[in-house]
Amino acid sequence: MRPMLAPRILFIGLGGLCLLATWLSLALGPVSLPLLDTLRAGLHLAGLPLSGQGLEQAEMILGQIRLPRTLLGLAVGAVLALAGVAMQGLFRNPLADPGLVGVSSGAALGAAVAIVCGSALGGLPSFLEPYLLSACAFLGGLAVTALVYRLGRKDGQTSVAVMLLAGVALTALASSAVGLFTYLADDATLRTLTFWNLGSLNGASYQRLWPLLLIALGVALWLPRRAQALNALLLGESEARHLGIEVERLKRELVLCTALGVGAAVAAAGLIGFVGLVVPHLVRQVAGPDHRVLLPASLLAGASLVLFADLIARMALAPAELPIGIVTAFLGAPFFLYLLVRGRP
Amino acid sequence: MRLSARVIGFTAAMLFHPWALAVETLPQHWVSAGGALTEWVVAMGGEGKLVGVDTTSQHPDSVKALHSIGYQRALSAEGILSLAPRPDILIGTEEMGPPPVLQQIRAAGVGVEMFDSKPELPTLQANLLHLGRLLGDEAHAGQLFDDYRQQLARHQAWVRQAEAQHPAPGVILMLGHMGAKPLVGGPGTVADWMITQAGGHNLATQPGYKNFSTEVLAALDPQVIVFADRTLSGNAAIAALLKDNPALANTRAVKDKRIVQVDPTLLVGGLGPRLPASLGSLSQAFYPDAKPVQ
Repeated sequence: MRPMLAPRILFIGLGGLCLLATWLSLALGPVSLPLLDTLRAGLHLAGLPLSGQGLEQAEMILGQIRLPRTLLGLAVGAVLALAGVAMQGLFRNPLADPGLVGVSSGAALGAAVAIVCGSALGGLPSFLEPYLLSACAFLGGLAVTALVYRLGRKDGQTSVAVMLLAGVALTALASSAVGLFTYLADDATLRTLTFWNLGSLNGASYQRLWPLLLIALGVALWLPRRAQALNALLLGESEARHLGIEVERLKRELVLCTALGVGAAVAAAGLIGFVGLVVPHLVRQVAGPDHRVLLPASLLAGASLVLFADLIARMALAPAELPIGIVTAFLGAPFFLYLLVRGRP
Repeated sequence: MRLSARVIGFTAAMLFHPWALAVETLPQHWVSAGGALTEWVVAMGGEGKLVGVDTTSQHPDSVKALHSIGYQRALSAEGILSLAPRPDILIGTEEMGPPPVLQQIRAAGVGVEMFDSKPELPTLQANLLHLGRLLGDEAHAGQLFDDYRQQLARHQAWVRQAEAQHPAPGVILMLGHMGAKPLVGGPGTVADWMITQAGGHNLATQPGYKNFSTEVLAALDPQVIVFADRTLSGNAAIAALLKDNPALANTRAVKDKRIVQVDPTLLVGGLGPRLPASLGSLSQAFYPDAKPVQ
């Protein structure tokens, strides 16, 4: 497959798209701020010696609501898309999804435990409470992924096929455990659980943002360094080994990056479906299979997609708000189907 | 100019005890995220101050014309701040959230007032007085609560009389959606409170709303079924319930045709102002031979 677009043009296009999405995400919202106010408030927040007179409202909206939300969207989208590329590379299958290694279902289980048991226990130190859900989701994702990886290992070799099957089985197990917690939950807790499962960038705050930002930065810097190795893996495991790639180490890194990245993204924003599957797939259609292009391009496209979906989520029913997971699936699924049908001879 | 006045007002509110304020600094523009709370605000004459309500606020009909801020557990800070006129206060039960959004709303200078939704009279009293303070009419709030308590007391007296002649019937309350998979209300719910107040004996013993297997439902053999359907009403609702749960056909309630319907919006968000009035029809179904409640 040859790329439809030269990488340079692709990066300029996607970079522009991402900048546009970021700008719109900062400039648009249910509260209509004049463009000039948004600009002035932004510059004032950035520390420029401008007069902040009359801008309290704009600065509050921009600094406390839209900026953390935009950063969260960028990080979540980037990390989900990168994890998608990593998983599709690892399984050498364009239909692989970060959920395959159990990280999403593990995180959902962690969240269910936190939501149901947290409300049953009641008394947690108040400074821990906001972190309980995120921490449990993150740890749940890591734990299930570690188990999937462990089950796939035998005699120092990791069998991708066994990992895939173990992932399917553990996902089923985790979903049934979530189901059990759903049953145990009372009506109110159930609603929280349902909304968490649909994902949302609503209520982003800096305290909960920085762990994800750090992890996203780490994943975004690390994975592109392994682009050549991923390219070699496309040929097959033994071929990659003959080309001098330490395949076992590569697999471990891919699984670790996915578990950390998706775990942190899910912990911060709930389950946002389809980004990890659709974005790498789409980007491959225009950019070709070379991971040196595919990885950074997916990062930009994933971040843009999540920001645009979030714009719809916050604007469509304003002043109410849609869960973003609904929007990404609504946008992603038909487009994906279109690609499938079009690709048929 | 208007903004700086608000900032000064807000700063003043932070300096002094928040709600021990002069009348002119009382919150003028309200957003309510709780069905029963909205009804109480309207009952206290505060409807004109409401600028937005959540999706659980369905009564009275006039509040449906207000801006909808979405579901109480998935509020949006910017959405609420975008309402015109800009709200001064957001009221809701402890179910309101998510918490980070409430923090953002507070940071924007909008008061966030939480109310307890436990279906108990002391809780209701505290809630009403709190609302009354915020609306600047505590006397009216106290009056409303006294009326409420008296209505319930009169009803209790009637129930005790009826109970002396007939044993309390075994009742279950089912909350369904077009009849399918109804949830049964147990202790701690408004459903349980209603059954008890109306003189019934709630057969469900597990707390909260739970799905019961049809076998258990048949074994409980309730004498009366109270049914609340979210989409259907009247005979259609009962027909749907019986069609989807054939095991109920052998219960005493169905054989004796003792199925009462209640409005499902009564069951949300704690004790609402319409509850006492709805107890009459329930009691009538529980004690068909007793004299009607006056």
